[in-house]
Amino acid sequence: MNNTLVAIVIGIVAIFVGYNFYARRIDRLVIQADPKRATPAKMYMDGVDFMPTSRNVLYGYHFKSIAAAGPIVGAITAAALWGWFPSLVWLVLGVMFMGWASDYSAIALSVRNDGNSLSAIAHKLIHPRTRQVLFVFIFFYLLLVAGAFGTLVATTLNNPIVPLGIIALGVFGMLAGQLLYRAKLDLILVTLIAVGGTLLAVLLNASATGAVATAFKNFNAWLNGFAPPKGALITVLDPTRPAGQQDVAITVSLVFWLLFMFAFCYLGAILPIWRYAQPVNYIGFWITALTVVVAGLGAILAFWIKPGGHDVSTFTIPTFVGFGGPTKVLAVSGAIQPLWPMLFVTIACGAISGWHALIGSVGTARQIESEEDMLPVGGGAMFSEFTLGLLSLLAVSVAVTTAGTTSTAVAIGRFADGIAGFLNVFGISKVYGSAIARAAFVVIVITVTQLLFRIMRVTLAEWLGDRAPIFRNQHVGTLISMAATTLLVVSGTWIYIWQLFGASNQLMASLSLLVVTVWLVATHRNATYAALPTVFMYVTTMAATLVTGYNLWVTIFTKQLGKAGHEIAVVGSFLTVAIAALLFVAALLIAVDGVRAIRRYRRQPIATAPEPGRVTA
Amino acid sequence: MESEKKKKRGLFGVFGTAKEVMYGMASHDMSRTALRTRASMEHLFILITMGDLLGVPILPPYYSLRLMPYVVPQISTWKRRMLRERDLTDVLG
Repeated sequence: MNNTLVAIVIGIVAIFVGYNFYARRIDRLVIQADPKRATPAKMYMDGVDFMPTSRNVLYGYHFKSIAAAGPIVGAITAAALWGWFPSLVWLVLGVMFMGWASDYSAIALSVRNDGNSLSAIAHKLIHPRTRQVLFVFIFFYLLLVAGAFGTLVATTLNNPIVPLGIIALGVFGMLAGQLLYRAKLDLILVTLIAVGGTLLAVLLNASATGAVATAFKNFNAWLNGFAPPKGALITVLDPTRPAGQQDVAITVSLVFWLLFMFAFCYLGAILPIWRYAQPVNYIGFWITALTVVVAGLGAILAFWIKPGGHDVSTFTIPTFVGFGGPTKVLAVSGAIQPLWPMLFVTIACGAISGWHALIGSVGTARQIESEEDMLPVGGGAMFSEFTLGLLSLLAVSVAVTTAGTTSTAVAIGRFADGIAGFLNVFGISKVYGSAIARAAFVVIVITVTQLLFRIMRVTLAEWLGDRAPIFRNQHVGTLISMAATTLLVVSGTWIYIWQLFGASNQLMASLSLLVVTVWLVATHRNATYAALPTVFMYVTTMAATLVTGYNLWVTIFTKQLGKAGHEIAVVGSFLTVAIAALLFVAALLIAVDGVRAIRRYRRQPIATAPEPGRVTA
Repeated sequence: MESEKKKKRGLFGVFGTAKEVMYGMASHDMSRTALRTRASMEHLFILITMGDLLGVPILPPYYSLRLMPYVVPQISTWKRRMLRERDLTDVLG
């Protein structure tokens, strides 16, 4: 039971049953997808945003847009806290009953509403203020994503075996942009140069005792020399670590790599998109796609092939830690991690995600050629992302390590070791496999993060630009977003930021499902398939937000407030709590308006077609 | 239309599908960005030359009329894009 093959078979069965026996039924009976109905892509074709596109292309596009670090990190963290079994169960049930429904319905909703965005439809169907509340919600949601992802990237880059590949990614990204758009070179040639060069840099930096890694190690040591004795700028408390190891240093080198990430993303946010962000994403795609595909095949074959006599298919972490998580570890700080609701927000993408609904409604829905494509594109891409979450869970489950700690460095290392084991099935050395996995991980995260800062800048400009024109300045908007992210990162409460991000992400999914439910009720269709996940996710995510607030209070404020050297951690945590409260109130407002809208639409009689020849007023 | 949509079967069909999916993942986004950049430039040009169609007269009608034949094919999509309601989340698309 506890091996990769069984988990993969469970995953395949879940996809087959969920797609064929549930999703298709909803598509046929509730949404009633009709290939004869004109889609917005055809009605409002403008050759850019509204453009009928092949379902295969659109499936690839939608999958690429939704697959980021969420399914990877969520599975890693949850497996450490509660064991692999509950994580697997939630991934399977989440995607079968909620995940595909959220993605698919957001696309269907937009297609049936002239290609409008979720916020525009909420404005029309629920209440005008819903749109404004949604914008506020989205900004802070993005900030949490940036905080969580920023910590992941900075922590990984702080490892001396990682940076060269990412530096190469930036350099080759610029070069690829120049070669493609200025020199007009062939795409395949540019791909070979850029992807090959970046991979070479990753491999050059792979060995911990190699010249490049040693140079980065010395560089980090030199940086940390500015804050003796151990380079700690500040010390923060990580309540998920064992007793005696909870004081964690925020080192100078960590802050340096955080700033490096900001510089990387700053270029992405400021430069024309073709010059940097797009080519970087393109190179990143090949690196992650190659890693994921080969590792996925390795996970399947690992059951039969034992490289060097080592078994890399059997799970080594506990099946089930307990309903309260690693209580012995948590008891030291007083934090709580109950399986419900925290598991359901720790694994966000891979099971269900609000980000997908946002992307689906404004990007994918406007390119749907036929209503028959909505399910294979929206539902299909979500089921595919589930496989990415499953692969991460398998990778972390077969890596030999200790359970119960959610330290970012340990979690990423565990993921990289697991992927290296799967790559080892094909004869790729574990040293290189681990380096490739880490690089692929950073690439996935950093490419999304640069997009985040671009969106946050635009959001700030739109939100506050009228009141204070300075926010319209792209540099100011980007720098403010980065400053707020820094505060979150150096607060040292990564696990809480991650869980709060998960909660806001799932809440976003509930909001999108709420809008779908209102639409289904307004059009007198059976809304049960959307309403039940809405209620479950709403209650779960609101409860998770409260638990996170409680954890911050118990582990940060009562233990660190007033202590010298802990000021930044306290301020950062206060910001996190404030964001949690804001999201809670915003979600509550939208829910109240949503319920009122449902009642309003329920009272409306079903409009019937007039009899032929009869004149109606 | 139907003849255009004839699907390839067998191995060629699988290869074609895989090719399209790969294109969707790797390059579709780049194509859209390039198209968007071009469209922005074109829209700016039409706004300057044909702005009075939307009530924004910039160029004297004489030049607008001279340019009219070249711009006619794009006017409908241009008006659609210029007058479409947008919001923050459009940045994500």
